[in-house]
Amino acid sequence: MIKVGIPRALLYYQYYPMWKTFFEELGAEVVVSPLTTPTMLSSGSSRVVADTCLPVKVFLGHVLSLVGKCDYVFIPAIRSVSRKIYNCSKFLGLPDMTKAVIPESPPILDIDIDVNKGKRRLYQAIYQLGRHLTRNPFKVRQAAIAAWQAHLNYKQLMSSHSLTPPQAMERISGTLEANPKTHSSYSTSTRSTIAVIGHPYLLYDEYINYRLIHRLEQAGYTVLTPEMPTTEELESAIVRLVGRAYWTYEDEVIGAGGHYLQSGTDGVIGIMTFGCGPDSLMMDRVHRQAARLRTTPFMSLTLEEHTAEAGIVTRLEAFLDMIYRRKRREVCV
Amino acid sequence: MRLGLTHMGNIYIPIKAMANQLGVDLIVPPPTSQRTLDLGVKYSPEMVCLPFKLQLGNMLEALELGADTLFMPGGAGPCRFGYYHKVHELILRELGYKFHMVTQDLGIKDMLKYLTNGASLREIIAVFRFGVAKLNALDELECMVHKIRAVEWDKGEASRIYKEGIRAIDDAADYQSLNRVKREYLQKLMNLPTVTSPAPLKVGVAGEFFVVLDPFANMDIEAELGKLGVEVRRSIFVRDLVRFNPFVYYFGLLEKHRSHKAATPYLSRHVGGDGWQSVGEKVLHAGDWDGLVHLEPFGCLPEITARNIMSSLKDGLPVLNIIYDEHTGKAGMVNRLEAFVDMLYRKKRRQVKVCV
Repeated sequence: MIKVGIPRALLYYQYYPMWKTFFEELGAEVVVSPLTTPTMLSSGSSRVVADTCLPVKVFLGHVLSLVGKCDYVFIPAIRSVSRKIYNCSKFLGLPDMTKAVIPESPPILDIDIDVNKGKRRLYQAIYQLGRHLTRNPFKVRQAAIAAWQAHLNYKQLMSSHSLTPPQAMERISGTLEANPKTHSSYSTSTRSTIAVIGHPYLLYDEYINYRLIHRLEQAGYTVLTPEMPTTEELESAIVRLVGRAYWTYEDEVIGAGGHYLQSGTDGVIGIMTFGCGPDSLMMDRVHRQAARLRTTPFMSLTLEEHTAEAGIVTRLEAFLDMIYRRKRREVCV
Repeated sequence: MRLGLTHMGNIYIPIKAMANQLGVDLIVPPPTSQRTLDLGVKYSPEMVCLPFKLQLGNMLEALELGADTLFMPGGAGPCRFGYYHKVHELILRELGYKFHMVTQDLGIKDMLKYLTNGASLREIIAVFRFGVAKLNALDELECMVHKIRAVEWDKGEASRIYKEGIRAIDDAADYQSLNRVKREYLQKLMNLPTVTSPAPLKVGVAGEFFVVLDPFANMDIEAELGKLGVEVRRSIFVRDLVRFNPFVYYFGLLEKHRSHKAATPYLSRHVGGDGWQSVGEKVLHAGDWDGLVHLEPFGCLPEITARNIMSSLKDGLPVLNIIYDEHTGKAGMVNRLEAFVDMLYRKKRRQVKVCV
């Protein structure tokens, strides 16, 4: 059986159920790289120039960990998934860059997704991807339809049960037990809420963000994530802040940020990486909006490979203390 | 309408010529200076790239001079540049300036109408042709000065004549005087006393469009290379933006298309900005250049991808990367250039010896 490797980084959190269904329908076995480890990060960052962003370094570490464990690595180049809205250029160059810096990697399955070029080109691209595994176009078609359905189910599951991507994936694969840490169990209580905004590959990779969500939950806060607001809420927030979306995956930052700043949460934490192009503009907009509204405290954390755990913890403690005092004063008044 | 301009190299000259002929009130901000940079840095998001900061500084200086309309090209694409006009506008509005922002979002037709005071299409084309003629004159002069700087006897003389030439081209009011001035200064440059041996090194300059074209942003790297006796080869010119020749375009004869084709085995798709072209130039000119200086602003998304791929190419063309931001010091850059050029000379000498 052909093994297809999928690195657990970058777009994995958005699309894994879709990719998994597609490859399994075509009779391949899907291998996912393990959780991020320090070795992965250091081996990934040793391959690229220094100012490449942290998530890409982590991604390359994951690819390196898949070397020898699979016959193909799946690295899509997702250019655009909605009209006139493009993706960060690092995502486009990803397959070529991986090929260049990791020559020993298994052959790369690469697909160019660009909806601006029309449906025909999109279907052709999907068919070409499927050709690596089968010669039968109808089988590819069926697999693609099943994959799309799996993606819709996954999204539906996240928004209806307000689950984070890792939780939804566990739910789909059936390994989720009655977990006391799920957000739904908190939502009825009157605890303080903290919204965390940023890309899924930063929020849910516990190694990169030093278990930030876990720490917040431990401190007794209900954590809100960018998946929870509805699409309409995100879109109205984008219109309010910048007028029109420009990058594909920025509603996680600007939409969620704009929404949570005005939805009565007790604090918003923005997570970005050093040198992130889109975030450098978008997080700044959220920052300015927070400064203008003066209703919700906002903290932005910039991560990179030299970020120290103690630094993050100190800033987090200070932020939470501030929120606590603010809340106490309100109660007293 | 008082239209404020942003600087990029000499691009203000053709624009000024066009505005004069159309009767548009154009405000050219003072040449980019340290003050421009400081202003831009003060109000920009921290991690945005150098071109954004410089252009914001230009806009602020133009607004100080009384501009009430700003023009910034934009659009959609993976590089951040397409979005800058929006962020510039938001920042300037928050600072309390009142102005009108003209971008491609209006649609090409409305944009042209607005910028040209409603001139007819025929007028616009005539004026545009004159602008392009000025642009070509400037680029020809620049090409020539790249060659002469490397071999001139009195270092600095070519740069001085070049500056005079730019001013003269700026003053030329019609085709006749433009041609005369162009010929005159090309001749002046060619008549400079030159050193005949050794043959100068040929070093390519490639990278991000703005930083390559703006001498303030790249700290006049071409003149510095010239001082070291290096002939600069560059294929990025402003005229690439406005070249409409259908034959050249459709048969893929433009340098840009050739380098895209050359890059395809290593980078198979456009990654925004000039990343694709940077990789292509390295592949394309591995044989005929002695080295390549790759320029980029700090945090440039496409160029980081390009740089990762360039460093894995085993074609033996030495590359020096210079990354610019507001903290880059000129002495550091010059030091690195000197070391690079020394290395190239030694490499060349060794090759010559081996051949003999």
